[in-house]
Formats: sequence, C-alpha cells, structure tokens
Amino acid sequence: MKWLLYACKNLLRNRRRTLMALVITGVGSAAAVVGGGFALFTYQSLREVSARDTGHVVVAARGGFDGDEDVPMQHGLAGAPALAKELEALPGVRAVLPRIQFSGLISNGDKSAVFIGTGIEPEEDFRLRGVQLKFVDGEPFDAGRSVPEIAIGRELARTMKAKVGSGLTLLATTTEGNLNAVDVVVRGIVGTGVPDIDKRIVMADVGAVQKLLLTDKVSTLSVYLKDIDATGGAAAAVAAAHPALEVRTWLDLAVFYQSVKALYNRIFGMLGVIMLVIVLFAVSNTIGMAVAERTREIGTLRAIGALPGEIVRNFVLEGAAIGAGGALTGIAAAGAVTLALIFAGLQMPPPPGRSNGYPLLIVFSPGLCAATAAAVAAVSALAAWAASRRAARKPIPEALAHV
Amino acid sequence: MSAAAVVRVEDVTKRYGSGAAAVEALRGVTFEAAPGELIALTGPSGSGKSTLLNLCGLIDAPDRGRRLVEGAPVNGCGEAELTRLRRERIGFVFQGFNLVPVMTARDNVEYPLLLLGVPQPERGRRVAEALARVGLEGFGERLPDALSGGQRQRVAIARALVKSPRLIIADEPTGNLDSATAAQIVDLLRDLTHEHGAAAVVATHDDRMTGHCDRVVRLVDGRLQ
Repeated sequence: MKWLLYACKNLLRNRRRTLMALVITGVGSAAAVVGGGFALFTYQSLREVSARDTGHVVVAARGGFDGDEDVPMQHGLAGAPALAKELEALPGVRAVLPRIQFSGLISNGDKSAVFIGTGIEPEEDFRLRGVQLKFVDGEPFDAGRSVPEIAIGRELARTMKAKVGSGLTLLATTTEGNLNAVDVVVRGIVGTGVPDIDKRIVMADVGAVQKLLLTDKVSTLSVYLKDIDATGGAAAAVAAAHPALEVRTWLDLAVFYQSVKALYNRIFGMLGVIMLVIVLFAVSNTIGMAVAERTREIGTLRAIGALPGEIVRNFVLEGAAIGAGGALTGIAAAGAVTLALIFAGLQMPPPPGRSNGYPLLIVFSPGLCAATAAAVAAVSALAAWAASRRAARKPIPEALAHV
Repeated sequence: MSAAAVVRVEDVTKRYGSGAAAVEALRGVTFEAAPGELIALTGPSGSGKSTLLNLCGLIDAPDRGRRLVEGAPVNGCGEAELTRLRRERIGFVFQGFNLVPVMTARDNVEYPLLLLGVPQPERGRRVAEALARVGLEGFGERLPDALSGGQRQRVAIARALVKSPRLIIADEPTGNLDSATAAQIVDLLRDLTHEHGAAAVVATHDDRMTGHCDRVVRLVDGRLQ
C-alpha cells in the first residue's frame, strides 16, 4: 500500500503529463467499453431473435435437418402431438410448437409466384415471436377456419396484389408426389425486416398445411424454454431421452447470428487491440520521461539497497495506476454514454440485406468493464516495465552522475 | 590487515574507458576503515576519491584487487548479494542530499527500513529516533523542498543511520552547506560514528571537515599518499 501511495505521489510530480496519459487511457477505455457494449447489445438482440425464430431446442426425425427429400415430409416427424406433450413436461419448458416447412406456388388466379411456407400453431407461435414479426397490415390468423387463413410477406402481397381479405390459392406437392391445392384468405401481411424473405414467406395453420401435403407429420418440434441459458442442458436431456431423433439448438441453426458475431468479434477485437497499443505508447512515453528525469534518484535508491526489480516495481505501479485511473475514468464516461443513448432514442440504419433499422443502444457490462480495466492496467504496467527496466539496471555510479 | 575492519580494499585498480582514452582512477590502492573511525578522504578533483568510495560502498567493482566487508571477500558476489549487503550494512550520504522529493522527511528516512522489511511499529519508532538524533523532531511531515540545505542533509544522514549501518559512505556531505551548518553536520557525523561504532568514509575537499576526522587519507592520481 505504501508503495502504491509513493507511486501516486510520483505521478503528481508532472501533473500535465500524467493528465495527458490519463486522458489517452480514458478515451481508449471508453471506446473499448462503448464499442464492446454495442457488440454485446447486438449479440443479445440477435440471440433473442434467433431463439424466438427457431425455438431454443429444435427436434426432428433423423435426416430432418440435413437430409435430401424426394417427396415432402419424407424425413418428417411422426407422432408429434404425443412427443410434444412429453417434451412439455420437461423442467424449464415454456411451450412446444410444431412446424412444417413447405414450398410451392401461390396464385391469385392471374399470376403465380414461388413461396416458402411455414405451418405453425398461430396463437402460440405469434405470441412467442413477439415483436420480431411485424404485421404491417391485418392481424395474426386463427387456426381451424373452414377456409384457412394465412399471413404473407409484404413483398409477396405486393406481387400478388393481395390485401387483407384477399383470396389466394396455395399449390404444393403432396407427400405422395402429387399436386394439391387449397384456397386461403389473407388475414395478415408481415414484414420480417429482410426483403428477400418478405418476397417469399407464407405462414399458415399447421393443420391446413398437413391437409395440403396429405400428411400427419410435422417437420420439427420447437421447444421454447423459460431461460435461454438453459438451452444446452435441455438439448442434452432431450437427446438423451430420444436417441432416435435429431436435436439442434437455436445456436446451431442461427447462421446469421454466428456470422455477425464472428464479424463483430474481429472488428471490435481489432479496435480493442488498437486502443491497447495507443495506451501502451502513451504510458510508455510518460513513464519513459519520468525514468529519464529520475535517473539519479534511481541510482540513489539502488545505492541504499533497492534491487532493480524493486525500482521497476515502483514504476510498474505508476503505470498501473495511470492505467487503472484512466480505465475508471473511461468506464465512467462509457456509463454516461450508455445512459445518454437510452434517452436519445437514436436508430442505426438497416444492415445490408435488411429493411429495418434498430435502436442504437449499448450494454454496460460489468464483465466487459472489468476486462477493459484489467487489460488497460496490465498494458500500462507492461509499458512501464519496458520503459524502466533498463534504467533500473544502469550502473549505480553512472545513474548517480546523471544530470 | 585488521581483522576488525568494516571494509577493506586490497591492491585495487579501477580503469575507465579503453585503449588510448583509458583513465586509471585507482592504481593498486589498499585501504581499510575500522569500527567507530571517521576517515576523511581528500585529494584534488580526479584523484580517485569518488571511485574509492564507490568501491568501499559496493556500488562499483574494481578491475583488479579485492574487497572485504567485515572480513568476508565480496569479489565473487552477485548483484543481489551486493545489494543485500548495501541494504543491511551501508548507509550513504550524498553531496546533493539525494532525497526523494515527493516523500516527506519521515518517508525518506523510512525507505531503507521498508526495503529491509522492518514491521510498522518498529519502523515508526526507529524513524522517530533517527530524526530526533539529527535534531529534526517535528520536521518529519515536511517535504524536502520545505527544508533548508542543512536540514536536508540531516534527513539524509538520518536515512543513512536509521538502519544502524556498519559503514557510512559520504561524498562531499558539506559541499553545499554554509560554514556553520557544515560544522554541525561534521560534528553530527563524528558523534554518530563514535556512538554507533560504525565506520565512516567521507570524501571531501573541505578543510573544516578534515579537522574533525580521526584520520585523513590523501589520494593523488589514484594512489594513496
């Protein structure tokens, strides 16, 4: 503690120089915390969206995820209602929802277009997806209507000249390889935020889709958990209980999330490295000048019995104090930025391939702050070590004669 | 050789530089300091006084010859061992005081005890005693800048004495002081040396100093006269 006190006193010898070093390390730390916080916010948001889209744990029959199908539902999951009941009984499970992935043509009588459809249990599915699926017109459809209701993407609706209440026809290949068709009514028009998906997406009641495809199977069962962090354990439990089935987690299926995370990790990782290099040079310069000015003092302390390592330790403490002080200042500034962004309500522009922007917010993560402070303090200490070790080993008479 | 010598150098030679530019600062010097002895090391500038002090104080090594501290040769000692010997047995007083400016007088005096790992209650007591012995009671919380030259040198002497060294090395300790203060410092060094039984080797040009020493050794061109 005494040595730390001396280190702080020494830093006050040249206040302007110390202040400059503190400002540089502070700005670097703030940039790292803000940048990292933005990345964390993005990861958290995408994680939530991805998990809501697929379910936390997804169960399919063998080949249901990757197997090629000669006819629709060749690798479909039979006995889905019983299995869903069984899975719902597992601890931590919020809901188990069947899904059918299918495709075909959608027609308004005058023209047709390819669609990619999903059969869902509408009430639960729309509730669990929450705000992720935005209805630009109409509302969620109901199951069990005599004329099935659907929701379609906004671009597909424009192509089909369809509005809420319009009648359309879905054509698809059945499980027997024949063509089948069903008349449907548009109940809602949705925007996913991805124009390419909005051009193709159709959502229909799973029962109606099963009638269209002439099957009682489903493609997958999506298991929604109360806690996303329980995904790994739940997936393992399901896989252990049903070894004949294939089990994937939302993370396995979240290609976009993983791509964004890999990209951001590189971008913000590089930003962090650049910040640390700047801190390294700033502290190195500050301590280097202090060492040069205090060479005679170093000689004196060495003469009265300080080991070179003890001299270096004192400078390392000074460097670490600059790093820690700068990091704390920067973290406080980042906290202020976090609050300001909450109140400012700024929006980021839509990412490439998307039509919706998203709020510019950052996560003020204690873990990130601690890691930043530790890294900045460590780099500052390292810089001080590098700047002082040679002077600490200078011959004592030479150091004492230094002017 | 006196078995009781605190420090002894035998036939030491020290050369600076190389080739034609080499300067031989010491040429076969043999010297020793006994306990309780205050020795003045005199001679003109460049005569080798500081070099001999450095060798006695273990902050430099001879090119030839050997050194003994309390009878034990130190020529083969590594840097860590020499530092330990300086830390435990040798106190230094410099012409320019060489106090750490951000430390109070008390902190400066305490520094050697921190290096020795002396625990706090004893550290505080010894620092207070050392400051009292040099007449600086009540000055412990002052920074060096707030002290006069004589007071700073007293702090430096207290710093050298606080660990009860066997040897005190002083390089021109009165060089920056007026006559009255210089006399006080000389008296203080003599009294402390005699009281503590430590040897003190003082390099000086100052005749006021030599008159108070037990022995005066003169160096000329790197040789003892």
